[in-house]
Amino acid sequence: MSREWMIKIVLIVLLAAGTTLAGIQLFRQRHFDVPMVAGPGVTRTAKLSDYSPGLKGTMADTTVFFLEGNEEGGKALIMANTHSNEPASLLAALIFLENAVVEKGTLIIIPQFNNSGGRNTRPGDGYPLYFEIPTDWGSKKFRLGNRDASPLDQWPDPDVYIHYPDKQLLSFIDVRNTNRTWPGRADGPLMEQVTFGAMEIMRQENVDIAFDIHGAETMFPVTNCIVAPEKSARMATMASLTVKAREGFDNHVEPSPSGFRGLSHREIGDYSDTLPFLLEAPIPFLDQPTGPKTEKFLLDGKDPFLLKLAKAKMLFVPYDESGWPMDKRVGQHCSVVLEIMRQYSRKKPERAIEVSHVPRYAQVVQNGTGSYYHDPSKADPDKVFLN
Amino acid sequence: MPFIMILYYIICVYLISMVVWNFIREKKNPEYFFHYLLVLIPLILRVLRVK
Amino acid sequence: MNVSEKRFLDYPEIQYVKWGQVENMYAQIGIIAFVMVIAYTVAKWKKLSVETSMFAAALAGGIAGAFVKTPPIGQLARHMVEGAFTYLDVMLVFSTATIFMAVISEFGGVDYVVRGTIKTFYNKRILALLILMFIILIPGALTGAGSVSVLVVGAPTVMALRYLGIPEKKVAAILFIVAGLSAAAPPVNIWAMMLCAGTAIPYVGFELPLAVPVLLLGTFTMLFLGWKREEKKELADILNQMPEVPKKMSWWRIALPFFVFFGLVAAVRIWPFSLPIIGLPLQFMVATLAAFLVSPKKVNLLVISRDTIKRLLPLLTTIVVVGMLQQVMTATGVRGLISFAVISTPLVLLFISLAIIIPFSEGVLTYGAAAIIGIPLIWFLDSIGFHATVAIAGLTLLWPLGDGLPPTALIGRLSVMVSEHKGSYWSFLKNTWVPWIVITITGILMVVFSSKLEFLVRWSM
Ligand SMILES: [Zn+2]
Repeated sequence: MSREWMIKIVLIVLLAAGTTLAGIQLFRQRHFDVPMVAGPGVTRTAKLSDYSPGLKGTMADTTVFFLEGNEEGGKALIMANTHSNEPASLLAALIFLENAVVEKGTLIIIPQFNNSGGRNTRPGDGYPLYFEIPTDWGSKKFRLGNRDASPLDQWPDPDVYIHYPDKQLLSFIDVRNTNRTWPGRADGPLMEQVTFGAMEIMRQENVDIAFDIHGAETMFPVTNCIVAPEKSARMATMASLTVKAREGFDNHVEPSPSGFRGLSHREIGDYSDTLPFLLEAPIPFLDQPTGPKTEKFLLDGKDPFLLKLAKAKMLFVPYDESGWPMDKRVGQHCSVVLEIMRQYSRKKPERAIEVSHVPRYAQVVQNGTGSYYHDPSKADPDKVFLN
Repeated sequence: MPFIMILYYIICVYLISMVVWNFIREKKNPEYFFHYLLVLIPLILRVLRVK
Repeated sequence: MNVSEKRFLDYPEIQYVKWGQVENMYAQIGIIAFVMVIAYTVAKWKKLSVETSMFAAALAGGIAGAFVKTPPIGQLARHMVEGAFTYLDVMLVFSTATIFMAVISEFGGVDYVVRGTIKTFYNKRILALLILMFIILIPGALTGAGSVSVLVVGAPTVMALRYLGIPEKKVAAILFIVAGLSAAAPPVNIWAMMLCAGTAIPYVGFELPLAVPVLLLGTFTMLFLGWKREEKKELADILNQMPEVPKKMSWWRIALPFFVFFGLVAAVRIWPFSLPIIGLPLQFMVATLAAFLVSPKKVNLLVISRDTIKRLLPLLTTIVVVGMLQQVMTATGVRGLISFAVISTPLVLLFISLAIIIPFSEGVLTYGAAAIIGIPLIWFLDSIGFHATVAIAGLTLLWPLGDGLPPTALIGRLSVMVSEHKGSYWSFLKNTWVPWIVITITGILMVVFSSKLEFLVRWSM
């Protein structure tokens, strides 16, 4: 063999080895399913494609859980993993899914709203592929996804994303961002079909209130808050004041800007009768000036750079040596969702949504998020859903 | 799969074949061998629908 | 103690965090950064190319990081490969745009256009310069990539500028600066879009804050570098020197492929909800087919594509390796350290140092630099009363300058390649210093006075 081909073959073997190893890891992450144990409240399930048929057979399709109470009442929708790199949302939604008992009204839960994004990774940002939440029976493993849907499911990107139907110009990346593609349409790009599916659920089921759960950087001015348009602002304010007084954590209200299109808290309100609320808890992991992006950092939110910036008053949330543990963020989401549902039920008793067996902030912080998850290997197989 | 996405996979396959053609034709510079292979990594994994 | 706390206690793999001791983190990340610099330097010293040296830096940084499990060694290959995807779509745009232009050039279209321009505008110098400026600005403005401007219209404009009596080193400088401005020009400015997506701001109101400075600075650059006719040439001589164009050549054969491309770009904008998303690579490929069909002479598309990829190899490799570098830098914390260092600089000092930080970070990380420094900076400026849209517009004037700086020097290296500049890279870069400084000052002043310039945003809407 010639020297030229010797070198070529050595290089091919070396690079192929690394690429194959990496390829297997990435492929496994995309196809890894998180088992979710449907709790006592779940009465039926559907697929998002039942409401937006274009999603059928794609990775963007996802499971929708219905928790229907014995008594008629109002309906609430919880969407998590709109951004799959903000996992407190998924963890909070699973606490509801696995534990909630609905006495009155209906709770609809979409735990992995942007399923394609949850099966994507974020090139250039060096995340771990998975994270694990400790439970009483071992640890529960989750994919760490991306903010945007996978190009394997929606490709190519436009040169600039023209929002439907307002024609506002948005970044090309945001065509795969399910918090920019609202209200969506049945035959648009895949992510517009995803948000369209949720809009259809809200319209067909007459959903009263909708929660879109997120996390935001500590350096982002709109963090640790409830984002609400005018029509849900009063209720959000009441909930914010109540959790502050009764449970002792801050969660202020931010108005939904009317000039910025495509966001859930804007378009849900404008294109349906549902009252939208977008919940943000801080996620230091997503900030730019931090140390290495490790699983530990994702979970405990401790970072010395951010601590220094906090002392220079450059963060928008209180931040000290204790960081922002995941349990605090998950607990906040649980409490705020419960509180807004309570406020709504008080204001409209005939459309009340009464939910029990869901822990509040202090309990989640005390017991740990994982203590609310059930062992899928011991659960009734009919109750275990892979997504 | 939407028609336009299929066309993008065809574009990728076309570019892969051009890179491979150059890789085979390149006789001298071992660094270029290496560079052609690096460029192939994302193209091939995309066509295999890994990432 | 709850289950989560227990888990943190028995987390064996993180050895470095003595909580609260920032110095430890500094030292650890500093050492990793140092290893990367050493690896790059040694590779360059061994006479390896920029691309290979950057790959060596990324790999060495990842290995150094693996000693403290950031990233774990088993994840290193995955991080490198995942990083290679960061700019896959940019790779496709570069490749298809260049293949398109190579076909036009191969059938004589470029020569034909240059001949026409020189013939008509030889004696109307300012007009000729301004027309050439627009020709360079348009492809980059539409695609957001200055490199596309250089690749698509660089060759003919270089020729035209040379015939206008501008020496080759100044031609390369003009091409580089104006192509850089084209990337910043509206409607598509990739840095601004990345910042908008990262900071949650709509990509709206950028038309005037970008177009006004780009046109002023572009005109200044053209006139400053191109005003003097340094090499006297007679029109007749020039026309004689120019390469022959095929007999069957006519204006529509050139116009048609461009019409197809611009038509597709425009159509998607005009009917966004009835047409599917086509994307730039496919638009260029369709235009390539159109060019192939109307070519006055037989061209071999396969051979042209092959040779284009060969010519683009340094650029494509750079884009792949920069993604790997960026991913390793984030996984090890080096990227965060850079971001932290910039953000903690006092404001006045920060404004002055932007002139250096932004171009140099772009030189190392290309588009990746915008997120690291830009996102926290914009949030911070916004919170203390600066106008985010104008500030982003100002910053995006500075980023393209970095595309002339090593190690990546994306637009700079292409400008040198296309203009066939013979001297060293630095002898080319030296010629850009006056426009460089004027652009830098403009950009920084736009950031500083962003709230006063807010009317530009209002008038855009
Ligand atoms: Zn989010």
